[in-house]
Amino acid sequence: MKKPFLPLGLLTLGLAGYLALGQYTLPEGPGKDLVLAKCQACHDIGFVARERLSRDRWDGVIDEMVLRGLSLTPEERAAILDYLATYLGTEPPPASPPAQPASSPKTGAQVYANCQGCHGPQGEGNPPAFPPLRGHVEKILKAEGGRTYLLLSVLYGLQGTIQVEGKEYAGIMPSFAWLPDEEVALVLNYLATWGTPQGFTPYTPEEVKAARAKVLSPEEVLKHRQGLKLP
Amino acid sequence: MEKVDRRTTLKLMGMGAALLAAGGRVMAQQTPTADQLVKGKNANLIVLSQRPVVMETPYDLLASNPERTSKEILYIRNNVDLPGYNTVEGASPQGWKVEVGGLVDKPFTFEASELFALPQTEVTMVLQCSGNGRTLYNPRPSGNPWQRGGVGNVTFRGVRLQDILAAKGVKVSEKALFITAHASRQGNAPEFVRSVPIHALENALLALSMNGEPLPAVHGGPVRLVFPGYFGVNNVKWVEKIEFAEGENTTAEQVPRYRVPAIPNTHLPFLPQEPGKRYPYTLQNSRANWLVTLNSFIFAPLEGQTVEGPYVRVEGVAFNDGIVPIVSVEVSTNGGRTWHQAQLSTQGKTFGWVRWRTTLYLRPGEHEVMARAWDAAGRSQPLDGNIAWNERGYEYNGVMRVKFSVA
Repeated sequence: MKKPFLPLGLLTLGLAGYLALGQYTLPEGPGKDLVLAKCQACHDIGFVARERLSRDRWDGVIDEMVLRGLSLTPEERAAILDYLATYLGTEPPPASPPAQPASSPKTGAQVYANCQGCHGPQGEGNPPAFPPLRGHVEKILKAEGGRTYLLLSVLYGLQGTIQVEGKEYAGIMPSFAWLPDEEVALVLNYLATWGTPQGFTPYTPEEVKAARAKVLSPEEVLKHRQGLKLP
Repeated sequence: MEKVDRRTTLKLMGMGAALLAAGGRVMAQQTPTADQLVKGKNANLIVLSQRPVVMETPYDLLASNPERTSKEILYIRNNVDLPGYNTVEGASPQGWKVEVGGLVDKPFTFEASELFALPQTEVTMVLQCSGNGRTLYNPRPSGNPWQRGGVGNVTFRGVRLQDILAAKGVKVSEKALFITAHASRQGNAPEFVRSVPIHALENALLALSMNGEPLPAVHGGPVRLVFPGYFGVNNVKWVEKIEFAEGENTTAEQVPRYRVPAIPNTHLPFLPQEPGKRYPYTLQNSRANWLVTLNSFIFAPLEGQTVEGPYVRVEGVAFNDGIVPIVSVEVSTNGGRTWHQAQLSTQGKTFGWVRWRTTLYLRPGEHEVMARAWDAAGRSQPLDGNIAWNERGYEYNGVMRVKFSVA
């Protein structure tokens, strides 16, 4: 009698283990990208993803963040609150919307949604904290070691003051190590479409995977950048 | 699924294992260990946040070092990440300037390296995040899920703030009711400001070293303003400005963060907030997490351990804000119906933790031991820590319970 349940049990255990260990990213749902864009500049996203709070208390948390300098339009605020209260609430979240976001392959432009909160929808930048990507990425890719640097900065983030085109930027770039290898490659190749240097070979998921071998701190990525010859 | 043959069973088991492995892989990729994030930290520390760096000491590590908490295992709760400071090495005091101003007759600036020439004072104190024990509240408060390892016992050495004021011939105005400290904002770090009552000036220390070594950069080196008896958050790391002020600072770290509800002019032993509800924190209806609340921890036996009987050694530490001595620690093995006094290692006032121990006669089987401290001001710990529930889960000091077996 008991035997048939054993494999099922094991499967459930495996699934539970997977879910428990994989909780560092936010559940899929409308508003997720907005939450990522707004929260990640200051928080390790795991910090947000593991909370389970009532709508009322999420509302309080957002109030606090606004006090600390988060800028939101009323629409963004409502969307973020809906997402947090629904997917990181005290009730179990509803089943993910029909698996379309998960199963349909993403495009680089879709992955870029994670970046646009800081770098702007068109990569135009947002001084004095966040440098432009459009126009600048091409120069990074042309510089010796620039290709690796660009990948490392997405994987591990960047902290410290940098000079771009003679202007100083002093924001904080979070780590995007939680993105799958494929999506990191997609977004890097998307950035390259804004200006591709001669002989550019697209980034591959394997290249991203290899770069994960040695974990760097955002300060170490900054040192990497300082070694490049950039305008 | 009436019958599952051997092959199917194996297949399903394989799938489960693969999923588990995948989970592990995801985690390995995403969460660097403590030593990867902060150079010189013990790899076993629990990483609660990578940025800003927050890491907790595993309870068994804390308990196995009951004398002093070393820099390798001391917890970290940083609100600010200064570029290049994620290491337990010291930071250079050369060129590090600290401004002293506000309600003083002669504002001045000094360099951290000047401090080495002044008389040095040492203090052993409990450093504890005011969110320590947060996970024990129900319903779950927001914030880093601290268990009990957001605490340590460390020795700071440096120059008393009063001594440098005296050395510079500076007088603080009688109007000054608070000391406000600002952390460095280098590398575009966010603002971090805290105010403590002027009474804290009595023991305030500009710390240059910890446990006999240069103050680790990640713990606030080269210079940290330390207030013995106060919760960790008030001990401003990388201090660059100290102001004497009439009122509390009003930036986010002072209100609404790091506060608990309070009814003005009352000293209720509980906090007037309904568990699970919000509270409109203002400077008037709440107080900052200042003085450490009386607390005790059981270091042995550990939860789930099996120990030899029938004589069982129970031990741990107790601490308070250092204003009065801890006078007793009691243990109970019957859910608090009767209590038995433990012996204390010291009697006087201290900012450090006091070790206590006792031997109990216990029959073989399952037991639960509770520990409760009392101090000379008559303060003790609630049997139900949830009575102090607040939405951010600060200042938990409920009586600790440990379940273990006697062989």
